[in-house]
Amino acid sequence: MLALRDIRKSFGAVVAVDGLSFEVGAGEVFGLLGPNGAGKSTAIAIATGLLTPDSGSVDLLGLGSPSSPAVRMHLGLAPQEITLYDDLTARENLTFFARLYGVRDIAARVDELLTLVELSERAKDRVSTFSGGMKRRLNLAAALVHDPQLLLLDEPTAGVDPQSRNRILELVRGLAASGKSIVYTTHYMEEAAKICDRVGIVDRGRMLEVGSVAELLARHGKDTDLETVFLTLTGRSLRE
Amino acid sequence: MNAIFAIAQKDLRLLFRDRGNMFFTFGFPVLLAIFFGFVFGGEGATSKMDLALVNESSSELAAGIAKDLRADSSFEVIVMPTRESAIDLVRAGKVTAAVVLPVTLEDGIEGLFNGSGIPIEAIVDPARRAEAGLIQGKLNELAFRQLPKLFGNISQSAKLFDGARKSLSEAKNLDPTQRLAANALIFASEQFMKSLPQEADTSEPDASAKAWSPVNVSINELPARKGAPRSSFDVSIPQGIVWGLAGCISAFAAGVVSERARGTLDRLRLAPITRTDLLAGKGLACFIAALLVQGLLVALAVVAFGSNVAQPFMVAVACIASAFAFSGLAMLVAGIARTEAEANGAGRGAILILAMIGGGTIPLFFMPPFMRSLSNASPFRWTVTAIEGPFWRDTPLSEQWFPLMVLFVIGIVGFFIGSRAVGRPFSR
Repeated sequence: MLALRDIRKSFGAVVAVDGLSFEVGAGEVFGLLGPNGAGKSTAIAIATGLLTPDSGSVDLLGLGSPSSPAVRMHLGLAPQEITLYDDLTARENLTFFARLYGVRDIAARVDELLTLVELSERAKDRVSTFSGGMKRRLNLAAALVHDPQLLLLDEPTAGVDPQSRNRILELVRGLAASGKSIVYTTHYMEEAAKICDRVGIVDRGRMLEVGSVAELLARHGKDTDLETVFLTLTGRSLRE
Repeated sequence: MNAIFAIAQKDLRLLFRDRGNMFFTFGFPVLLAIFFGFVFGGEGATSKMDLALVNESSSELAAGIAKDLRADSSFEVIVMPTRESAIDLVRAGKVTAAVVLPVTLEDGIEGLFNGSGIPIEAIVDPARRAEAGLIQGKLNELAFRQLPKLFGNISQSAKLFDGARKSLSEAKNLDPTQRLAANALIFASEQFMKSLPQEADTSEPDASAKAWSPVNVSINELPARKGAPRSSFDVSIPQGIVWGLAGCISAFAAGVVSERARGTLDRLRLAPITRTDLLAGKGLACFIAALLVQGLLVALAVVAFGSNVAQPFMVAVACIASAFAFSGLAMLVAGIARTEAEANGAGRGAILILAMIGGGTIPLFFMPPFMRSLSNASPFRWTVTAIEGPFWRDTPLSEQWFPLMVLFVIGIVGFFIGSRAVGRPFSR
C-alpha cells in the first residue's frame, strides 16, 4: 500500500531523515514511534508528497509518488496541528474539504462523518467553540472526507481527554478493519501497543527497529514493555 | 473549477466573519472617503449653512418666513427660544448666523409703501462676513415670497391699503395730480385684489404666488468643468479605494500566512488540485473583495455625493485592473512574510506607507513634485491614476492604457512571486 525506500532529507546541515525505509500493508495500522525531532513528521510529509526527499523513493498503491494529484487522491492526512478553520462551522469545514476532493454526494458524506465522530449535534457550531477533543475528532473526519485508502495520522490524540482518545482509537481500529491502511505516530506507547499491528521505532532519522509489538518485546525480554524498549533504543537523555 | 470556487467562497466567508478585517476592508475606507471629502471642502453643492432662528413675532408673516427658511435647502435651521441663546450659538461658532424675526415684524408691512421695509435681523460673526451677503439675499427673497400671501388675504391686504392711504395723506411734497394718481393706483390695486379668488390656505407658495413675482430667478448649476473634480468627494473616493485595497491585501496576505502557519495550507496542498488552482482560488477571493470595496465606494460617490462618473465603462476596467493587481500583491506579501507576525506587522506597515505615498492621505495633485515622483513606486498611485482618469478627469483613452498596463504587470509579478508562498514546504 505505502512503501518508503531509503529516504534521505536534510534541512541545511540538519539531517532530518537518514535512509528511512518501511512498508505498510492493506488494512494494517503501522505505528511510527520516536522522540521529538526523530524525523516522524518529516517522514509523514514525504509520504504525502508535501516534501520532496533528497533521495529515495515513495510509492503509493503501486501508482508512484504522491507528488501527483491523482495519486494524492488516495491518501488522507490528519496533521499534528488542528488544520481546520475556526470561523467555519463543523459542517462548513467538512463541506469545503469535500468540494476540494470532488466528493459526489457531499451532504450525505458530511452527515456520515459527523455521525462517525459524534459531532452531529454540533454541526452548525463554529470550530472555535469546540473543545480540544472535538477538534481532534473533526480533524480526523476531515482526513476521511474523500474515503482514502491510506490514512496518515500524526499524533491524533495529542492533548485530548480520555473519552475522546478512546473514541479516536476505536475509530482507527474500525477503519483498519474496513481495509484502510494507517500510519500512526504517537508518543503514547500504550496507545501504540493497543492499536498497532506493527511499529517502527525511529530516532535521528533512522529506523531502529520494526516489527509487531510482540516481536519487539520478545527481542528485548519477555518481562519488559514497549515504553522500556523505546527508551532502551532511543536513550533516556532529554530531547529539544 | 469547483475547487477554485470552493477556496474563494471559503476565503470570502472567513473574511466576512472576521469583524476586524471587515472593518478595515469595507468600513474604514468608506469612513475615510467621507472624512476626506468633508475635509477637502465637501461643503459644496450638497452641504447646508447652519442658522439659528428666533421668532419673536406671532404674525402669519413671521410664521411664513420661518417656515420657508426651514424648508430652504441652503440652510440647516436650529430654532432657538431667545435672541440671547441664538447669539450664544453664533459666538460658539456652532452656527453661521442668528436670524431674528422681531415683534415689530408685522408693523413693518406698513413700511412696504414708505420704503422702510419688513424688519428682519441677522447677527453674524465677523469671521463669517463672507456668508453675510448670502444670508441677506436669501432673507430678502424669503420675505418677498410672503407678499403674495399678504396681498392674497382680504383682511391683510385691506390693512396694507389702509396703511398706504394713510401714508399718502400724510405725504406733504406731492402735488394734487400725483396725489390723485397715487390714490387711483391704490384703489385699482385694492379692487384687483378683491377680484381674485381667495385661497382657503394661503400658507403654501403655490402657482398663484408665482404670478406675483416680478422676477423669476432660476438657479442652474454649471456643468462640471472637464478635468476638474465636481466635488471634493470625487477626490476622496479614490483615496478611500486606496485604503480599501490596502485592507484587502492585509487581510488576504495575513490569511495565507496564517494558513501556512496553522497547517491548513498543507491540507489544501494535499488535495488533488494543482498549485495554480490553489493560487487562483485565493486570488479570486481577494479579487472579488477588492471589486466589492471599489464598487461600494463608487456607488457611494454617485448615490450619496452626486459624483458624475465621466466614463463608467473605463472606471469598471480600472477597478478590475486594480483588483487584479492587488490580488497579486496579496500573494506577493504572503510570499515575502514568513510568519503571521511579519505579515501583520511589517507587511501591514509597508502597505500603509505605500498607501500614504500613493495618494491615500494626500491627493496626488496636491503633492510637491518630488513626492509625486516618489509615488510612482507605490502601486496605489497607479490605482488612483487609473480610476481618477475615467472617474472625473475624463482623460482620453490614449492616456489611460499606461496605468492599466502597470496594474496588470503588478498583478502578474505578484502572482508569480506569490506562488512561492503557496508552494512553500512544511515549516519543520
